[in-house]
Amino acid sequence: MTPFDLKIVTPDGLAFEGQAEELIVRTTSGDIGVLAGHLNCVAPLGMGRATIVIDGQKRYAACIGGMLSVVNGAVTLVPTTFEWADQIDAQRAEASYQRAQTILQDKNSTDTDIKLAEARLRRALVRKNVASMK
Amino acid sequence: MAGVSTKEIKTRIRSMESTKQITKAMEMVAASKLRHAQARVQNSRPYFEILYSTITDIVNSNTEFSSPYLTQRPVKKTAFVVIAGDRGLAGGYNSNILKLVQSQIDGKTVSVLPIGKKAVDYFRSHKVPMMTENYSNAADINVGDCFSIAKQLSQAYLKGEFDEVVIGYTNFVSVLSQTPATLKMLPLVHESDDPVDPAYIIYEPGSEEVFEKIVPEYLGGILYGALCESRAAEQAARRTAMDSATQNAEDMIADLSLKFNQARQAAITQEITEIVAGS
Repeated sequence: MTPFDLKIVTPDGLAFEGQAEELIVRTTSGDIGVLAGHLNCVAPLGMGRATIVIDGQKRYAACIGGMLSVVNGAVTLVPTTFEWADQIDAQRAEASYQRAQTILQDKNSTDTDIKLAEARLRRALVRKNVASMK
Repeated sequence: MAGVSTKEIKTRIRSMESTKQITKAMEMVAASKLRHAQARVQNSRPYFEILYSTITDIVNSNTEFSSPYLTQRPVKKTAFVVIAGDRGLAGGYNSNILKLVQSQIDGKTVSVLPIGKKAVDYFRSHKVPMMTENYSNAADINVGDCFSIAKQLSQAYLKGEFDEVVIGYTNFVSVLSQTPATLKMLPLVHESDDPVDPAYIIYEPGSEEVFEKIVPEYLGGILYGALCESRAAEQAARRTAMDSATQNAEDMIADLSLKFNQARQAAITQEITEIVAGS
């Protein structure tokens, strides 16, 4: 497949810069796949697994928040957090998942607690899912 | 050296020396914190730049609709986000940024969101209305906080609580130079140089939804970048200030040692004269 230029930048630094053949990310309106020669496009990212094909090899990552932009053939992913599958701390994700569950099941939790716990649960689920794909 | 006893000078030298030790230690702490902060600035800069250029691209190519984030309203009230430090003894770091912000606030109706204890204290004592005092610990603020501040700001902006959002921070130019600066975050400015052809951009799901989602993210990113810059600048300013304080202490110690030796010599000479006169 024809490769295209892909750049992934997060607040913690450059996560990836180079050639990729395919990119699938979860946007707020569902998964989007990007191949070489994609039209100019802008989409906000949701929470989910990103699949990137580099040299025929699939790599997975947890990709949360931020945006995807394709301008004149150059693809830029600007997520808030981006972790490759092998960088994810599965134990931490599991612990965070458990903590969120306890808060959600606790009848005394306040609305803000529940909102925070829901967001935490979603992030933990994404991380757990991606970590199991390595 | 009549009048000043050797004992008095000795006490002063000793107190000078302990001051020097403190400033020296503070300099070393600042230097090590600076290294971390500098690495973080360097890591976050590409994110900052790409975010900025992507947003400008979108803004420039976006001619067919008007987002509230793009419309310039007559400015009745301005929101100021001000990033300063938690502690003093950092040279002009805190006073420079606060002075700059004060000069821009004068004569305007503002609401300030101070970050860092020094900023909170300053605006409290000057009785400037503040949105919140929750962020009085600049060292503890993380990416998540930046995004939640950004979300609050953009919601309040959409509701019309204020018509302009400005951020005041300190640019980390180099280890020796830090410049305070202000940056207008909202409304986004429409620049017309080098636009992308507007006809061929897909907005998924739609341009307005994209804007609604992306602008708070963008603000959060900019805020985080500004925070990283400010923190590095603070440590650099503190390092320089403490370095010169140590230098001054050393100069004073050298001066006092000379005086001490002169006084001691004078005492010895006098004693000899007395013995010789007595024999």
